[in-house]
Parts: sequence; structure tokens; C-alpha cells
Amino acid sequence: MKTAESRLVTRAVWKGCRTAVLCTFAISLCAQQPRPPQRPAPGAERTRQFLGLGPPPDAAAAALGEPIFERNCAFCHGPKARGAEGPNLVRSSVVLDDEKGESIGKVVHAGRPDRGMPAFPTLSETQLYDIAEFLHQEVYLAANRGTYQLLNIVSGNAAAGEAYFNGAGQCNTCHSVTGDLAHIGAKMRPADLQQAFLYPASVREERTPSTVVVTLPDGKTIKGTVMNIDDFEVTMRDDNGVPRSFVLGNGTKAEVENKLARHLELLKHYTDADMHNLTAYLTTFK
Amino acid sequence: MNPLRIPLTKSVFIFLSAASLAIPQAFNPSKPPRDVWPTYNGDYSGRRYSPLTEVNAANVQALSVAWIYHIENVGMQRGVGLPDIKSTPLMVNGVLYFTIPDHVYAVDARTGRELWHFDWEDHGGHLTGQRGVGIYEGWLYFMTPDDWFISLDGATGKERWRKKVADEKMQYFTTMAPMVIGNRVIVGVGGDAMDVPGFLEARDPETGDVEWRWNTEPKPGEPGADTWPGASAMEHGGGMTWLPGTYDPELDLLYWGTGNPNPVYAGQSRKGDDLWTCSIVALKPETGKLVWYFQASPHDTHDWDDVETPVLFDATVDGHPRKLLGQAARNGYFFVLDRTNGKNIVSKPFVPLNWSKGVNSLGEPIPNVEKQPSVDGALLSIPAGGGTNWMPPSFDPQTNLFYVNATNGYSLAYLTDTDAKPEGYGGSGRNLWTQHELEAIDYRTGNIEWRHRYTTASGGAGTPGILTTAGQVLFTGDYGGNLIAYAPANGAILWHFHMGRSLSNGPETYLLDGRQYVVAGAGDTLFAFRLLK
Repeated sequence: MKTAESRLVTRAVWKGCRTAVLCTFAISLCAQQPRPPQRPAPGAERTRQFLGLGPPPDAAAAALGEPIFERNCAFCHGPKARGAEGPNLVRSSVVLDDEKGESIGKVVHAGRPDRGMPAFPTLSETQLYDIAEFLHQEVYLAANRGTYQLLNIVSGNAAAGEAYFNGAGQCNTCHSVTGDLAHIGAKMRPADLQQAFLYPASVREERTPSTVVVTLPDGKTIKGTVMNIDDFEVTMRDDNGVPRSFVLGNGTKAEVENKLARHLELLKHYTDADMHNLTAYLTTFK
Repeated sequence: MNPLRIPLTKSVFIFLSAASLAIPQAFNPSKPPRDVWPTYNGDYSGRRYSPLTEVNAANVQALSVAWIYHIENVGMQRGVGLPDIKSTPLMVNGVLYFTIPDHVYAVDARTGRELWHFDWEDHGGHLTGQRGVGIYEGWLYFMTPDDWFISLDGATGKERWRKKVADEKMQYFTTMAPMVIGNRVIVGVGGDAMDVPGFLEARDPETGDVEWRWNTEPKPGEPGADTWPGASAMEHGGGMTWLPGTYDPELDLLYWGTGNPNPVYAGQSRKGDDLWTCSIVALKPETGKLVWYFQASPHDTHDWDDVETPVLFDATVDGHPRKLLGQAARNGYFFVLDRTNGKNIVSKPFVPLNWSKGVNSLGEPIPNVEKQPSVDGALLSIPAGGGTNWMPPSFDPQTNLFYVNATNGYSLAYLTDTDAKPEGYGGSGRNLWTQHELEAIDYRTGNIEWRHRYTTASGGAGTPGILTTAGQVLFTGDYGGNLIAYAPANGAILWHFHMGRSLSNGPETYLLDGRQYVVAGAGDTLFAFRLLK
């Protein structure tokens, strides 16, 4: 961690220097219209730390580096640097040991004549840095699974989904696309929606406390929302909002009501086609 | 082969209390542990079965806390939060040695007082877990998240030397407890974020130098290469070796489980069975030569490492005594093999699953291509993390049952990298619903003799291992902070103790000063129990 932090500082300082250098080239560089850097996915930063991936790449420089790489390097190394005629650079030790272009730049500048790689002596220091950051970004996007985005998951047939909703799935016995599910396709992204109708509690926003009924030895029952439950005791908040706990056994029993029992039952029966069709149907309600 | 000598080096000797006149059991992991716990699994077999009976089904209700050791001054660990003791402590000559990532502790097994603490500065790698140390003579062996193999003096915790095993910038990391066999230390690696090949090494306990290395993938032209489309796929590799294996001293075979192939979820660039990933392998410990293999998941695309302990036990099949190997695999199958030759005897799911369409003539599951990760999601009737994980199982020769903490569930498997040359994970899994349960499996059939479904809320935390004892007590934990004693024959609950955080390691037991202790880790705290007197 200490090492990683000091590297972060190093790169930040270096970036500051580079900004000053960049100003002199501002006009020519802005003409390249870099794509806006993608916003990091939730959890990307946490995953970066967990994986010990080192400082995050300079996304702006990487965007500038991509077309330079495409023009000069992609023919041999592939468009995403995953290898073609030339080696895969996403797992290259030169790239992984590089901090900010110092090693990559040298190789690109001088080439590797012994291995058939030509030299690129006309690329500027800034361009070499941008190429290096593009490579660091390709490594980062592959290795950091926290950045992964689902692709377009809507593949099903909406009409078949409607038939399932009102037929085999019996979804319409509890739900209505004009009632509780109105505009559901606008409220939720398709992947979250797919997950939510399969089992609502698997989506954070849909988690609701479970209800528990405790039966005492004398037959008296107490109802509340579960705070904690295991094989030995149950802690609940009763209808008056008061926390209460009960030791289970010796005639004291607890039963948790699963409001999602029907969803759980359906999980056993869905085909992938049913699921994809239902997703396609529900996403139409914008 | 050779039993290890009793490690009564001068330095360790000073920890022997004057009150302890009993001579410790020969330091021989070929035998079930009594007054010692000298390896990750207690002995070489991986059964985690203790012959001790002082604590038994009749008196376990009087089990009480002897001491508590709480890890102080570590705080949140990078990327993982509070420390989690996943290691099984070694207990040798009255000292417990245990670990968390980057830290080794020596604690007095009688009192729970710290004797020393080795603190390795974090220089990268994954801090996802640390399973413990290995011991040879008076030396300890420890592996760091950034792939250093370090020898420490068991008496002082001072570093003796360090050797680099792999490169953390390639996303290798090490978590396993080094396994000492004779005068070799076996070490394995983890890592799948950057598609690197796996390997297992034997190293010299005196110098740390490599004696042999077994690669978990072949090179082009070698046997097994025809199960990969080409050199590039083999170089992406996988097949990590991150959990200690087991060893049969009579057959002189080392058994190891290997992890998933890479890219993890995107199988399009590695069509074929991808040997020797997701396999149980038998190696010669002198040379590292492969003797046999059994592939638990040909062409895995679900991140289901097959590293789970290959448990060795001798029992009868159809009336004949056999040398067996049992494994409850992460892919949801329970396997029993003849460990002399790897031939399959039982392959049966211990949780519901739809990723496989049955097994082939070798007993190896046949993947269902329709349930491989897809862009629009494949619905699996097993959790994304599989039917179990690394948590130690147990085999009890008194009941002839194999015990495992299993998880039932449903999940979605997505493909996120459709490139012809995917890199990294290339996909992800999402859990829908999960239910943990303790299972007792009949090794002869794979049938579940009894199961205990945990009442604790779905998805609760915990990585509970299992211990069985001749006292007819099974120790494990639920996912809500309880250490629980069960009757191994029928699953009746005999005793429990709420530890605050859930059981995070495999419980162990040993005899010290004539009294039986039970030790369990719960997050950042180690608990020792013994009977009230």
C-alpha cells in the first residue's frame, strides 16, 4: 500500500509537469477530438485497490494514444494490443513494469530490430506517453473486473414474454404492467430488471425486511420484522418498533415468511428463453 | 516419505513449559494428530479427523472459552476490510502459528498470549486470504500477497531468507500454507485477473531454491496440448494451485487440485478441455512428474476452481478395501476416485445444478454449452461461486461420511468480452438466491445422508471449515457467528457458542498438558475452548 501510494504521488506530480508541457501543444492535440473518458463503473476503484493494480491510467492521455497506437502499432499487435503477428502487450512485462512511458517509450522509439520490430523515432515524448497510457488502460480494463459493463442483454421476444407474463409464469396474478410495474423499463436498466424479476431481493433497492412469527410454548404468537435469526435465537422489531429477542427451542419456534416464495418456485422452471422474453417484454414499458 | 523429526531445536525448546513433562507426539503428519497440529489439515490425509475423545458427545455442553486472542493494530486491510483468519493454526510444542495476509503470529497455545508477530509491509498482490504456515525443524514457511516465499525462525519470528515465487504485476498472488513433505516444501500460486499460467513447485527448506516445477498447462507439442487450440491459449493458462494438497506416504503420491482456466468466463479463445485446469492430479513428490489426472470440469467457464481439498481415506467399496480420494468440488459434484490410479468411482451432484449434462465414461462432467456465460445471461441452478469453496471439509472414519459446507442457489452467468481474443475475466456472475447447508455425504453413493439447512439469512458471511473427532462431535460454524457442535451420525445440534463474527477457518483440536483444546478463528479473533473443570 505504501509503495502504491508513493507511485500515485509520483504519477500525479509527473502529470502536473505534463499539463504544462501540453499547453504548448494544445492546439494540435485538441484537433484530435479525444473521446470522452468512460466514467469508472461502480466498484472499479475498490477492485483496483483489491487487485493491487497500481495507479489508475491517465484516461485522457489513453484516449489520445489510441489513434496513435491504431496507426502505428495495431497492425502487428492487434487493435486492442492483444496480439496478432506481434506479441500480446496486455500481459507484457515491459508494459506491466512501466510506470509512465519510460520503458515503453524506449522500446517504441528504438524498436527491436532483432525481433523484427521497427523503430518509431519520429514519435514525440508526449505521443509515447499517450501510447503507454493507452496500453496501461487496456491492461486496466481487462484486469479490473470492477470496470466490466454488461453488453446489450435484451435478446428476447417481447410478444412471447407477454404471453409468459399472463400465461405460464402467472406473473399477472400479483403484478400489473400498468400498476406496480408501470414504466419499469424506464426505471431500471435491463440487466437489473432481469435480475429483479427473477429474484427481487438480489437487487439492492428491492431488499425488504422479512417478517417473522414467533410461537411461544403457550401458543401465543408475536410478529415482527427480523433483525437477526439463526438456529438458536431470533431478534425482531415488534409492531410497536420495540426490539425483542427469543431463545428458540423448548417449545419456542420461529417461522420466517418468505414473500418471494413464488419467485423462488419460478426459478426452478424458467428456461433461458422464458427469462429473455420476459426481459424483452418488461423493457418495453418506458 | 520420511517422517519428520521432532522439531526440538534449541530455539523452540524454550517454549516448552516446565509443567509439560509429556513428550509430544512424533512430528509425523502421516498419522492423525493428537498433541500436535503440524500441517494445514492436521495430517497429510486432509480428513481433518482427530482421534481425541476427551471432548465428546456426552460432555461437549461443558465446553467453555479457555482464552481469546484478538488481532490488534492491523486495521482495515487493503481491498478486503477487517482481518479474517482463514488460516488453520499449526500447533507445535505448545505454540500456535497462524496468519492473515502479510502477518504471521505465534501465540502460546495454553494462554493465548502473543509470543511474536511478523509484519510484512504491503507491496501489492491480493489480500484475499492466507491459509497458514508450514513447518520444518524449527523453521516456518510463509507466503505473501506479492509472491515472496519467506522462511522465519519459529522461536523468534525473525526472517531467515526470502525467495520470489512469481510476479505480482502479472497478478499472481500467494495465499497457501506451504506443505512440507520430507525435505521438500511444496508451494502453489493464485491469480486470474491477467490470464497467466499456473504451476506448483517443490523448494528446498534450507535454501528456498526450486527443486522442481510442475506447470498446470502443457507446452505446444507436449501431452495434453491437444486439449487447447494453440500456444496463445495455453499461455493464458490458469489452473492455479492456491490451496494445500494432500499426500499418501505409502503410495508416495502428492494430490493437488487445480483452478479454473483463463480467461475465466470467456471460453471462446480456449476451445477444448483445457488440461490440466480444474483437475485433481497425482504427482511424484521427488520429481513433480504427473502420474494421473482426473478433470472435474473440462473447459470450465464459471470460475469454479477445483482446488478443494482432495481428501484421502481408506474404506470399502462393494466389500473390498480401497484407497480412495474424495472431493466436494466447487462445480457442485462430489467425486470419489481410486487414488492409486485416478479411476472414478462416484460422480454425483451434492447441490442441484444445470451446467452439466451428466458425466462421460470417465466420470467427468459434460458441460452444457447452453449454460455457458452469454451476453444476455444464462440462468444457473447453482450459485455463481459454486456449490462450495475452499473451506476445509472432513471425512469421519467412524461414520464413513464426508462432510461439506455447501451452498444451494440460483445465479446468472454473463459474458462481457465477445472479442475473439478475450483478456481478463471476460464476464461475471450474479447471485439471485442462496441457501447454505451442512451436508453429510455417503462416499459409496454420493447420496446425502443428512443435511442441516442454516436458518441464518441468505448470503450471510463466513467461510466455515469442518472438524470431526473420535469423540463423536463435528465442529463447524453457521453464517451468523455461531460455532456449532453436531452429532456426526445424524446432524443433531449438541452445543453452540456465539463468537460475534462467523467461523472463518477450519477448526482444529489438540491435546496439551493432558487436556483437549478446540481452536477456531472468527474474523480477527482466535478462540480456544476446553471443558470446564
